[in-house]
Amino acid sequence: MASESSDEGGNGYEPKILVFACNWCSYAGADLAGVSRLQMPANCRIIRVMCSGRVRPEFVVTALSKGLDGVLVLGCHPGECHYSEGNYFTRRRGLLLKNLLQFVGIEPERFQVRWVSASEGAKFADTVEQVTEQIRALGPNRPQGGMHSTEPGDR
Amino acid sequence: MPKTRVGVFVCHCGNNIGGVVRVPEVVEYARTLPNVACVEDNLYTCSEEGLSSIREQIAEHGLNRVVVASCTPRTHEPLFREACEQAGLNKYLFEFVNIREHCSWVHMHDPAMATQKAKELVRMGVAKARFLEPQEEFESSVFPAALVIGGGVAGMTAALGLANQGIQVHLVERDQELGGLIREVRTLFPAGQATEEVLQPLAEQVRNHRQITVHLGSEVEDVGGFIGDFDVAVKADGQVNNLKVGAVIVATGAEELKPTGLYRYSELGNVVTQLEFEERFKRGADVPRDVVIINCVGARIPERTYCGRFCCTTAIKNAIWIKEREPEASVFVLHRDVMAYGVQIEESYRRAMELGVRFLRYDPENPPQILGDGRAEAVRVQHQLMGKEIVLPAELVVLTTPLVARDDNPRLSKMLKVPLGGEGFFLEAHLKLRPIEFSTDGVYVCGSARYPANIPESVSQAYASAAKASIPIREGVVRAEAITALCDERTCSACGNCVEVCPFGAVELQEGRFGRTAQVNPAQCKGCGCCVAACPSGAMQQSGFNDRQLLSMIGALAEEMTGGVGE
Amino acid sequence: MSNRSVVVVGGGIAGIQASIDLANMGFRVYLVEQTPSIGGRMAQLDKTFPTNDCSMCILAPKMIECAGHENVELLTYSELAEVRGTEDDFKVTVRRKPRYVDLTRCTGCGDCTEKCPRRVPDEFNVGLGKRKAIYLPFPQAVPRKVTIDEEACLYLTKGRCRVCEEVCQAGAIDFEQQEEILELEVGALLLATGFDPFDPASLEEYGYGKIENVITGLEYERLICASGPTGGHLERPSDGKVPGAVAFIQCVGSRDVNYKPYCSSVCCMHATKEAILANEHYPDLKSFIFYTDMRAVGKQFQEYIIRARDEYDVSYVRSRPGKITVDEETSNPIVWYDETVYSEAGDPVRRVTSLEVDLVVLCQALVPHTDHQEMAQKLGLELDESGFIAIEDRLFHPVDTSVAGVFACGFCQGPQDIPDSVIQASAAAARVAEILSLEDRELEHA
Repeated sequence: MASESSDEGGNGYEPKILVFACNWCSYAGADLAGVSRLQMPANCRIIRVMCSGRVRPEFVVTALSKGLDGVLVLGCHPGECHYSEGNYFTRRRGLLLKNLLQFVGIEPERFQVRWVSASEGAKFADTVEQVTEQIRALGPNRPQGGMHSTEPGDR
Repeated sequence: MPKTRVGVFVCHCGNNIGGVVRVPEVVEYARTLPNVACVEDNLYTCSEEGLSSIREQIAEHGLNRVVVASCTPRTHEPLFREACEQAGLNKYLFEFVNIREHCSWVHMHDPAMATQKAKELVRMGVAKARFLEPQEEFESSVFPAALVIGGGVAGMTAALGLANQGIQVHLVERDQELGGLIREVRTLFPAGQATEEVLQPLAEQVRNHRQITVHLGSEVEDVGGFIGDFDVAVKADGQVNNLKVGAVIVATGAEELKPTGLYRYSELGNVVTQLEFEERFKRGADVPRDVVIINCVGARIPERTYCGRFCCTTAIKNAIWIKEREPEASVFVLHRDVMAYGVQIEESYRRAMELGVRFLRYDPENPPQILGDGRAEAVRVQHQLMGKEIVLPAELVVLTTPLVARDDNPRLSKMLKVPLGGEGFFLEAHLKLRPIEFSTDGVYVCGSARYPANIPESVSQAYASAAKASIPIREGVVRAEAITALCDERTCSACGNCVEVCPFGAVELQEGRFGRTAQVNPAQCKGCGCCVAACPSGAMQQSGFNDRQLLSMIGALAEEMTGGVGE
Repeated sequence: MSNRSVVVVGGGIAGIQASIDLANMGFRVYLVEQTPSIGGRMAQLDKTFPTNDCSMCILAPKMIECAGHENVELLTYSELAEVRGTEDDFKVTVRRKPRYVDLTRCTGCGDCTEKCPRRVPDEFNVGLGKRKAIYLPFPQAVPRKVTIDEEACLYLTKGRCRVCEEVCQAGAIDFEQQEEILELEVGALLLATGFDPFDPASLEEYGYGKIENVITGLEYERLICASGPTGGHLERPSDGKVPGAVAFIQCVGSRDVNYKPYCSSVCCMHATKEAILANEHYPDLKSFIFYTDMRAVGKQFQEYIIRARDEYDVSYVRSRPGKITVDEETSNPIVWYDETVYSEAGDPVRRVTSLEVDLVVLCQALVPHTDHQEMAQKLGLELDESGFIAIEDRLFHPVDTSVAGVFACGFCQGPQDIPDSVIQASAAAARVAEILSLEDRELEHA
């Protein structure tokens, strides 16, 4: 397990980051980064959604409360959403959610929203690199008690 | 309910994956995951061998979920889904895990991390697969007409290509006349034919075709809907005309770069672009005696990296035109590379040299300089073979500039929900194999709206876009992917959040069996899932991306890797 | 009733794309391919420029979609024998060569191939490897069925062996199989017969065939391909050593009035791709591309060249080498070329200089398929001076040949890359659809 390998050198641990990428822009941008062989840290795991607007705040809270070190939501640039305006919801929800995270004692930097288009393979790689380093700098996420996650099958 | 039995297929992709990710380790790991009944690795899972193996394993192990860990669903999902279907498994019981673009290709120097990431991605994929459900696709009919935006060579050809198949076409052109950019070109490569001679019959054919309605002086104001059922608002003289079409072809072309600030263009009257040259001299002005043509003006530079593709051809064509009329004229073409690709352009390049046109290579670091006061009198250029500067007399300097994307492209791109690339041209679905399609179904592109293209290329692309657009129209129906939203009426509180957020007006509050609840129209739902995220009660769900599926992926990622999680 | 079917000749990417489009339009397509599998030249490529997409990865789904389409009948290992009639009413005779294997029984398991004792040069790997007399041309072949090469098979040539028959559990081997003649009635024909590489041996100054470490672009492509004879290890022919420096020579036979006057259009980008791939495999490997003009005219092509130069240690040298010699001791080829240097006084001096490398790759001209002449005769088609299928009105009817109802797309009608071939394929499909829809149209107008 990567997060166990905390080497010497302070923050030399490998954070584990969950990424939501919209199918049309950011997932395609990630594909392009791959096709272009742009090398990047191996800390991110992508869940494909059709639109970043599908990402329910609960997903972010669940991920962080389960101990993942960060959550990155990627969508089309504002105004370029394949579904017209899904990413505007993402943006608004993101702001509210950051406040909430701060309120419950989670560093809001652990949750980030960025825009990556289908032609921005390099931006995808840069974003992954930056976010990984930012979250690495925060150190491991140690969720406090009191936040309940929703287990699959609860419903 | 039968027990969930997941089959996992891990692809080596030659050595594209296997050269970095330790596939056997991933295979062994996948065997330890809950509900996994069979795991196998393939050299190429997408080969006929790999696909038949998927079919065989479904039968042999009674698999009711299939996970393939290979490349990207954006290219290969249909193929694997089809293999599932052929084996009698509903294709929505298939889940894709990307361990190439998102793993082996981007972690080429860290096999250990890449292997671990691949394992986790497979674990997440299997976790989701366990909660997949079979789905039925919604069918909708296709309105038997097409819209072509742009009445240049590409647009007119696309319209004819469709109309000649018996399909109704609306051709919308902003100007009062058909023809587009080519109207400004006086003679055509390679034979030097007058443009009028060929353009007029073509436009005539379009205007007279019973299947084509030409909308001149018109602009597309708005496009709504989706493949098979687009609602288009066309505005002309302040009047809005509403059309219904099943497919849309973008053929809006591009425009010549006016190189203000380069080579004293717009400061000196005798420094002109290629189109200005055509306009001025082919109309009857005296043929100039000393001409210097400078290529790659505003192209292949850091701010505009692309090559204009046919600019060199234009320079060759016009150089020949001058030499044929004025054999004594001195014509120099200053270039960086002569892009005379193929048979005909190379032949003309040779012919230009035979006629005495001089081709000199210049160094972009040390570009030619225009000399003269009030008007260009000469061009100074470093002669690379002679290794010294030479001065070429110039009665006229012609700047060869590339086509650039139209300012209107962003507006059109938003309206049609199709992307633009870095240079402002329309971005196709795949550079290599889907060059005239968009990821958005039912919308196609041809001609210089996509990238600078000469006439034969634009015409080929136009016919190709007609072929693509004709397919759904001929078929008459399209099937929507079953990823639409669905409301559980029992838990819906009718708050109406979903109605508000839906960009397509696909959700409505209606009286039903459980009182007033949200209802989704699958014909209009595009499957973005925004309403699901907005639903406070969890009543709204999206097929293939429901909360249970996504939360199980999150849960799987958060699990520590202890060599598998028993259940 | 207008004929609703079409013959497509050539199962490369252009023929495949045209077939898929026509089939999706609802027409019946007979795809005639000379070799045992569809896939064509694109199947032999490792990666494709400028995205470096793995060629097989993007081609395989198309091959499978094409072969599996309900409206497509695949006629592999088959040739046009005769064509009669005119637009909308062609009678086409197709000769199906015996492959001595029952296609309905063969599972492509490969047991026979393993046991077959006869090895011959493998054309898929341009002769760099061996295949058996009973063989699958390449792992992703469609149909995935073996073929017996009757010129190599011991039983068919010498009357003894039949090992394949013994090991085949499906009972698919059929030595009695005869040539089959199929009569097809179609409304149109679409030609997509592609290209062959020009043999650079005739340019003696470059030493191909004499200097071991001088190879062709297509040979290189197979050497660097994971599914190639060396499993993707770039090993030079003389000693299997991984080269440290590679020289690519452009326009070998192209743009040369003594050989092929035209520009083959794809080689500049092809060489750049090969140089990038080499450096990707071996980060210390350095490439030199000797070129005349760097013709990178497509979408994202210039950016690709810039990347090659800045990130993959590729040097572009503008010069056409005069000859290639060899250092007998190291087997290293030495490239001799002209360069301009400056004297102390600043005067330019042209001088001949040399560059010793480990491997030379000749980016040879690409020429129309060798059987072109014969096919043109059968169809009454005109060819241009270079042997490409002549197009009468290149400007406005770029896929129409000199014979009504016969269309041509892809490299067989002029040099072009994959996207342009795919575009022409779809364009030709549209033109065919116009003819085959003629009756619908007339009815509507009545």
